[in-house]
Amino acid sequence: MDSLRRTCWIARITFLEAVRQRLFSFLLLLGAALAGSSVAFRFLNFGHGELKFVADFGFGIMFLFGSLLAVVMTAQLLYAELDNRTALTLLAKPVSRSEFLLGKFFGVWSVLGVFIVLLCSILAGVLLTRAAELTPLAEAAGRVPPSVDAAGLALFALLQWVRLGIIAALTLFLAAGARTFLFSVVAGMLAVLGGQLQWLAQDLLAKPDVGVVQRSLAWFATRAVPNLQQFNIGDALVLESAGAPAGAAASALLAGSLHLLAFLFLACALFRRREI
Amino acid sequence: MKSAVSIRNLTKDFSVGMRGLKLRAVDDVSIEMPSGQVFGLLGPNGCGKSTTLKIALGLVKQTSGTTSILGDEAASTEARRRTGYLPEAPYFHRFLTGRELVRYCARLSGVSEERLDEAVGRALDLAAMSAAADRAVGTYSKGMLQRIGLAQAVVHDPELVILDEPTAGVDPVGSAAIGGMIAEMRRQGRTVVLCSHLLGQVEQVCDRIAIMDRGRVVLQGAVDEVLTGRDRHLIEVSALTPAAEAAAREAIARAGAVVVGVSRPRRTLEELFRELVTGSKDA
Repeated sequence: MDSLRRTCWIARITFLEAVRQRLFSFLLLLGAALAGSSVAFRFLNFGHGELKFVADFGFGIMFLFGSLLAVVMTAQLLYAELDNRTALTLLAKPVSRSEFLLGKFFGVWSVLGVFIVLLCSILAGVLLTRAAELTPLAEAAGRVPPSVDAAGLALFALLQWVRLGIIAALTLFLAAGARTFLFSVVAGMLAVLGGQLQWLAQDLLAKPDVGVVQRSLAWFATRAVPNLQQFNIGDALVLESAGAPAGAAASALLAGSLHLLAFLFLACALFRRREI
Repeated sequence: MKSAVSIRNLTKDFSVGMRGLKLRAVDDVSIEMPSGQVFGLLGPNGCGKSTTLKIALGLVKQTSGTTSILGDEAASTEARRRTGYLPEAPYFHRFLTGRELVRYCARLSGVSEERLDEAVGRALDLAAMSAAADRAVGTYSKGMLQRIGLAQAVVHDPELVILDEPTAGVDPVGSAAIGGMIAEMRRQGRTVVLCSHLLGQVEQVCDRIAIMDRGRVVLQGAVDEVLTGRDRHLIEVSALTPAAEAAAREAIARAGAVVVGVSRPRRTLEELFRELVTGSKDA
């Protein structure tokens, strides 16, 4: 209980520090402005439905800015504590290294939650307003009126929060062992790219005519690298009345949570050996 | 005598560069720091003082040797619960006020919610920071940062307080104030370990000292013992006339002693400064 309380206090201070960062304010304002004005970009829809374009635009902004925030903020908040020696003050108290690191993680994850909730709220406002405008036009033209599932958007927000949590935990793992902030950020961004391309390893594993070495590497990649693409079911959850394939969201949440826990465990194990 | 900190045959090697060359920062150090006293750990920069203290606090792992704090293994949570630490050149979250910072540290140190306000108030009083406690830490001067650091180190009423360069960058008046706080902690029965370059202050406040050089302890013992070891004595006289001096020399020679020299005692610059400057804004 004491351990949980200490972790919460470190998370609280980390949250307060993180929301004061200029990067957070900048990305939040830019993301909110882009998501809020996404209707203005609908001429770039490449033939897709207007609402689908607006939703995809918002989802893309959320992932791009959210990933950037998760990687940079996680590394920065950990290195700020180490470089400024505030970590010395905290770790000289009856605070374990795991409590310290988990406190940092939960502080960052809370900020990412705020980011996701704000952007999703703006996107929901834009989608619902535009759907209400398009409905009479569609009915007049005899087409099926567009619909926006608010509950689906809430589930999507949860999925994105877990996805950004995985990225933050992965970056924390890299930063716990790395010597420099820059290395942590570059390695974190490459890991995000790897997560987006993880399906390539899955495809390779599914092919029957693959050599043992390639198969082993693909098998390892599918286990070690989180599949960040599996969270891209926003269209199905928000716009399609049939919704996402049964169990897709649950499966993504379960796999994501396992990866998140695994990266946190590895980060704590690595940080325990680090000399402060 | 019961030891608050016991360091035995402590050695620490750091790996340097890509080839992992070993740099020995602490070399077979053994020190006993008795309870209830102020212990001074002295030495030039890079001599291994801070590394020794960090090992004692479990922040760095030793290569060999053992360290215990108040009878517990040094790196243990129990040992850290009973220890307060002020790192060298402390830096704290700038957006917190001094009071918020000390409350935060108190909570992390296990002070209960019922005792929190009283403990924070007492620590701020000891560090003479009550008046500035509701200002943001980012607005504090160097001396105030050291003092708020002292407050966070003692807020949980530790038996042992480790202060690493508490007077670094602080003006002489502020240093004297910190010296007074250390003396107050000793009066309260705490053990204080002090790392400092201000030898005059160490001499004033410490009961025992150890001097380190190149990772080794080159001298340790009670301050009085190590400083009065030489066969020299000082008699201070006022209104000394040439005739009185000649008579005194003759009397001393008759008694079989030798006058080695007669000189006028000088005040130290620090004494003069403190005599002339009664206080500074952030003292």
